[in-house]
Amino acid sequence: MGKVRRSVALPAWVALAVLPWGCGKPAVEEVTQPTAYGPHPGGFVIVAIPADVATLNEYQRGADATESTVIDMLFPTLMQEQPDYHLHPPSFAPRLASSWEFAQDNRTLTFSLRRNAFWSDGVPVTAEDVRFTFEIQKDPAVGWEGFEIKDFISSVDVVDPFTVRFHFTRVYPYQLMDANDGHILPAHAWGKVPRNTWGETDFEPQLVTSGPFRLASHTPQQTLILERDPAYWGRPRPYLDRVIFRVIPDVTSQVNQLLAGQVHVVEMVPPRLAERVRSSREVELVEVPSRTWGFVAWNNRHPLFTDRRVRRALTLGIDRKSAVDTVYFGLARLAVGPVLSSMWAFNRNLPVLPYDPEQARALLREAGWEPAGRDGTLAKNGVPFAFDLLFPATNTIRQDLAVIIQSDLAKLGIRVHPVPSEYTSLAARLDAGDYAACISAWEEATKVDLASAWATPSPDQGSNNFVRYSNPEVDRLIAAARTESDATRAKVILDRIQELIVEDQPVTFLYEAPRLVGVSRSILGADINAASVFFNIEEWYWSQ
Amino acid sequence: MLPWLLRRLLSRAIIVFLAATATFALVSLTPGDITQHLDSRRITPEARERWRHDFGLDRPVPLRYLHWLGAVVRGNLGYSWLYHRNVSTVLATTLPRTLLLTGLGLLLEVLGGMTVALVQIRRPHGFVDRLASTVTLTAYALPSFWTGLLLIYLFAYRFPLFPPSHMLSPAGELATGWQRLGDLLPHLVLPAATIGVAGVGAIARYLRGSLLDERLEHYVLAARARGCSMSRAMWVHALPNALLPLVTVVGMSLPFLVSGSLVVEVVFAWPGMGRAMYEAALARDVPLLMGGTLVAATAVVAGNLAADVLYAVVDPRVRT
Repeated sequence: MGKVRRSVALPAWVALAVLPWGCGKPAVEEVTQPTAYGPHPGGFVIVAIPADVATLNEYQRGADATESTVIDMLFPTLMQEQPDYHLHPPSFAPRLASSWEFAQDNRTLTFSLRRNAFWSDGVPVTAEDVRFTFEIQKDPAVGWEGFEIKDFISSVDVVDPFTVRFHFTRVYPYQLMDANDGHILPAHAWGKVPRNTWGETDFEPQLVTSGPFRLASHTPQQTLILERDPAYWGRPRPYLDRVIFRVIPDVTSQVNQLLAGQVHVVEMVPPRLAERVRSSREVELVEVPSRTWGFVAWNNRHPLFTDRRVRRALTLGIDRKSAVDTVYFGLARLAVGPVLSSMWAFNRNLPVLPYDPEQARALLREAGWEPAGRDGTLAKNGVPFAFDLLFPATNTIRQDLAVIIQSDLAKLGIRVHPVPSEYTSLAARLDAGDYAACISAWEEATKVDLASAWATPSPDQGSNNFVRYSNPEVDRLIAAARTESDATRAKVILDRIQELIVEDQPVTFLYEAPRLVGVSRSILGADINAASVFFNIEEWYWSQ
Repeated sequence: MLPWLLRRLLSRAIIVFLAATATFALVSLTPGDITQHLDSRRITPEARERWRHDFGLDRPVPLRYLHWLGAVVRGNLGYSWLYHRNVSTVLATTLPRTLLLTGLGLLLEVLGGMTVALVQIRRPHGFVDRLASTVTLTAYALPSFWTGLLLIYLFAYRFPLFPPSHMLSPAGELATGWQRLGDLLPHLVLPAATIGVAGVGAIARYLRGSLLDERLEHYVLAARARGCSMSRAMWVHALPNALLPLVTVVGMSLPFLVSGSLVVEVVFAWPGMGRAMYEAALARDVPLLMGGTLVAATAVVAGNLAADVLYAVVDPRVRT
């Protein structure tokens, strides 16, 4: 489910009134912007963020997207993931590791580290740091959210100070990715903190970093300022002097300040404001593939939705294309199946269920639902077809979708009651299975792993499959795909899984959300791509 | 006086305890917990279960309550799950910011209210009086988010005199001493004015009423008879007497000083306690919510107590 931030909408006149401010004085006068042409050092970028960065240690509980962005500028990873997941499982470029090599059996992976990398206190970054990080990742006392990612890595050995070896328990397509996941920590500095207190330790006062930037100041709930680390070992070194993260909770205010030149980057421009940003001469709207997709979750164990024919009828009865175009102003794509269309594993031959109310009626009749009473509401064994459709109260897009779905399904004789719900209570209801239907969304990783959302939830092992979908054939194929090391053969299996899930329609696939990034046109050299907005932050520089 | 004060203190302490207990019960009975608020596909149900255990959320509510109470008695407010800091640290950083903002807002409110009332009283029911009443009551009736946006539109964008949001500019964050203060002051203007503007109407209304009463008192007439000007009679003689009812109004405002104006803090991205509490409530950050509740409840009873004491000082009949 996408996290939803509360918003206080600005009236349109405030929005219009912002424009003249764009020619005003810059928000920060003390820091001079460079004036020469071409890439050159100096200047700063102000990034709007919806909420503060609570932790700079991702191994504490629940680091969110903004925190990951900041952490990525402060701490190194072994490699940098490339934005090519649309072609194949992502490839990697050297970062802290200068090279890597698999042993012949593919169960051992050896990284050679750069010899010129140092922590901000002058201590070299070594293989010991990599081993220490792995220990932290696996330690239940620390409780890292991603500990399962390292499930198939049995150990990490230090070969020499600049060589480190990962041992895998099996061979599978995402070995490099799993080895790379998580930033490398300073063993000499944080190794002293007792593991069972990691969850409740403030790491900021003892911050030792090794990224292109270091922490300059942090006023909680306001501003976090990073400055260029002159001792950074990577190439190129950043051109920017500072990256300033400003907490602006309301997205409309974020966009207003972007247009006014008080902020230079807004990572999530809401679709309704896209046109305003696009028509600005100072700001560019960059559209990159997002990995967020939305759906109507039918509780597959709810008596109304156990029958596959009913779920298919519901999908056929909703004019999804027009609904998605309406709420996203034509900027979103229609979602088709459980793998995003921007992923290498997407099955391009999947059938797209059309909007076909007639076929929907026929399927419902076949499933035993007949019009009853004067208002034509469908009923079966005296039970009317009526249910609550939940959505997070602060999400206006999903609210609009709920109303459209209500109206479309009313034409079939189905009574839908859209019910806004506070976010955390809603999450609790989904976890408990205490719901009939809900408009929900997922943010996908760049790794294609269908197990957590689509495999049958087993009682002894938790699952994110809150729609409680279960198909033994899908379970078998998911298990097979996870261990298939050859991407081409894995693709064949993944294609079949997608076909089966689309046939079953455990959810009604709605949209693949757009990712709209607003960036000041004065910033040059930025490669904003599907992997990250700040993919090459080192190479950003100011024009003029 | 002392036994009276002790009795009051004890009864107020019980009220704070009851308020905290009720809040704990309410928060614990609300569906969802912090682990469900943390939202990422990466977080597996196992990880959530582990955290629930670490946070003590797998224990029954009464046990959690006793655990919390025990810690509070020992002076430990706990650790904020949301902010990754001690609750006392979060409160110690956010509370002064809210106090600064709301304190200044209240000051503006009282000073503005007094000025308006004194202007109005020069000619009761005249044009100026009616105009001032209409304007201040309209401002009082407006929701503060709207007033805030109006002020932002007028004084940050239309006529860019003040910054539209935040407590400091990025340059101010890096500055120290006077430079930092110089950056802070313009940031305070619009949010404090938003709080102040709304209250001016109420204060002026109260004061105008009591000034009108005082105006007819014999001592004012006596002052006038001795050749004292009307404005001097009002400022020097009537105002101190008319201010007494305001003690209640300002005493009642004390809790607001602490809990802050959430809406104003959100509109102006002001990093105060109101916003912290709001986010804590959404995230079910129980320790922070409870810490905030304790502070706010204490402020409410302290405000009332202060008003009681002030009255007792002024009027000995209350001390029974």
